[in-house]
Amino acid sequence: MRLTLPLLALLLSAPPSFAATEGERLQVTGEVIDTWCYFSGVMGGPEAVVGSAHHTCALWCSAGGIPVGLLTSDGTVYMVLKMDGDDQTAGGDTNLRIAAHTIEADGIVYRRDGLNYLIVEEIIADQDIINQTHDDFGVIPGFAIPKSAAE
Amino acid sequence: MIRLALIAALVAAPALAQDFSEGSEAREWGLFAEQKARFTATVSDPLCELAGDCAPDCGAGARQVVLVREADDVMLFPMKNAQTSFNGPVADLAPFCGQTVEVDGLVLDDPEIGAINVYLVQRIRPEGGEWQRANTWTDNWAEKNPGRDGPGPWFRRDPRVLERIESEGYLGLGEEADKAFIADWF
Repeated sequence: MRLTLPLLALLLSAPPSFAATEGERLQVTGEVIDTWCYFSGVMGGPEAVVGSAHHTCALWCSAGGIPVGLLTSDGTVYMVLKMDGDDQTAGGDTNLRIAAHTIEADGIVYRRDGLNYLIVEEIIADQDIINQTHDDFGVIPGFAIPKSAAE
Repeated sequence: MIRLALIAALVAAPALAQDFSEGSEAREWGLFAEQKARFTATVSDPLCELAGDCAPDCGAGARQVVLVREADDVMLFPMKNAQTSFNGPVADLAPFCGQTVEVDGLVLDDPEIGAINVYLVQRIRPEGGEWQRANTWTDNWAEKNPGRDGPGPWFRRDPRVLERIESEGYLGLGEEADKAFIADWF
């Protein structure tokens, strides 16, 4: 078998493995997470930066405009571009109100360059915070609760 | 056989992560999967890129923004600015919506947890302009929250955060759960 130079050039010009796709309707249940702390490990392992242990930090990051994600039970993270139809995802009120909550969402998912992007058209159900991680991890970061709260 | 293996490797090359660290002056953060990355990109609105739902000025700071890299058309999600105070980079990037900029920062590559093409931007240089630090968020917050001056960082004084904590508690589980936890925590 001999590959000619034109064929080789064609193969080399093929798109990267992560290519844009059409949107797909998706109903998914997951926790509204702070994606930076989850992905970066800056506060510790991924199991420590979810749920009640990380609720206050998730509020800070959401108010600070860090994107939120939806983390499903199989570990998939969907980057949320609209939440309940609200496109104000850079610090908006909708995301802030449901930080660390587990929700059932209906929307459209797009996949590009290795990330899943989710447009949540409707929150079907809000289960509040059900992931009670503070018994195992305390609060993350440790200064999330000021000492004045104990006085 | 060697030739076929070489060709296979070349064909696979575009799928591998490229090194964009040349010329980077990014400060290391000591993150598990960080790599320095300096590149040229277009600032864009991801809702517009993916769904054709385009807003003026990429949402003028209300929507998230993305960076579409010139070298390979890869779309990166900038999630963090250069500050260490729980805030994102939209305030720094949105003013350049639709423009080509050079950025310098850290890219995260940790496929095991889904972190692919995730970016921390530390500085931005518009075409023909000077480098500027991606650190405008706290100044913007101060402008939007007059009368909230005081000791401590912004997140201790932010009215919306304080309202949520008042409503749900630090753990998000209500006042009684907080009381029991705090008694044990301090």
